[in-house]
Amino acid sequence: MPVDAQQRIDAYLNRLRGRLRGLDAENAREIVEELRSHILDRATQGGEMTLAGVDAALASLGNPEQLAGEYMADDLLKRAEVSRLPWRILESLFRWGSLSVAGFFVLLSAVLGYFLGVVFILVAAIKPFHPQTAGFWVYPDSTGGTTYSVRMGFGGAPASGHELLGWWIVPIGLVGSCALLMLTTNFALWCARQYRRSRALPR
Amino acid sequence: MSDRDQQSGAVSWEVQLRKGCLELAILAALWDGRLYGLEILRRLETASDLIVSEGTVYPLLNRLRALGLIQGEWVESESGHPRKYYGLTAAGKERALQMAAIWTRFSTSMNRLLAPLAERK
Repeated sequence: MPVDAQQRIDAYLNRLRGRLRGLDAENAREIVEELRSHILDRATQGGEMTLAGVDAALASLGNPEQLAGEYMADDLLKRAEVSRLPWRILESLFRWGSLSVAGFFVLLSAVLGYFLGVVFILVAAIKPFHPQTAGFWVYPDSTGGTTYSVRMGFGGAPASGHELLGWWIVPIGLVGSCALLMLTTNFALWCARQYRRSRALPR
Repeated sequence: MSDRDQQSGAVSWEVQLRKGCLELAILAALWDGRLYGLEILRRLETASDLIVSEGTVYPLLNRLRALGLIQGEWVESESGHPRKYYGLTAAGKERALQMAAIWTRFSTSMNRLLAPLAERK
């Protein structure tokens, strides 16, 4: 086999392997070896292996990042669905987000949803320690408008304005954060299922 | 809608249709015995007019394997490198039969519905 043909195959498969991180190691290894075998078969179809034959074989497999995406997408969504843990879901969405625009927007909204959920929990937990300053504040801002803000109570109270909910922030914060976390999880998984349905074969 | 839009609508419908048949086509290709990836591709090309890209078939084989419908086995060959052969599992055979039955029922009724259109040609 020509040396540069071998190099080209290795380079392609290395790029693929790099993108398959996250699949279990054995599966990733099998995928790479199977494709190596395929490339060798395709490149020697006309008898002797040539550089042109290798290039044609690699071209018909498509670019390695996209090919890896085909292998990964399903696996990621499946894992996120089984665990339902926010960090697992975010991890999957992060990869999905790197593969497609739709995935990126779902990732953004999930990050926002989880972030707000965590903020609500924190403010409910901190209220007993900063009873005067933590809570849901409304105060005038520098442009003359009104700002609504969830404050943890560090750094004192805003100069003007007042806190809206008082001790109600504790139950409302807890219920609100549970609702947000569940809503975000369900929304992310729903999007993932729609995405899979749109591109995948019937199960 | 322009002619061109009409045409591309029909083309994308055809793509979806072919995609939807691919799983059944692969299971059917393996019905007579085990084959490796490239053989499956050639079988699909010669036995049906499913022209499938290689980048589609290999990930799909991996998924069918994960679903337990096919299983892979490495076999040494005289070409100098091993090849991964796939065969149907019991679950895969059952699934293939189910899907074939659905296909037959569906295509028969579709053909009945389409008969007047065929006559127009």
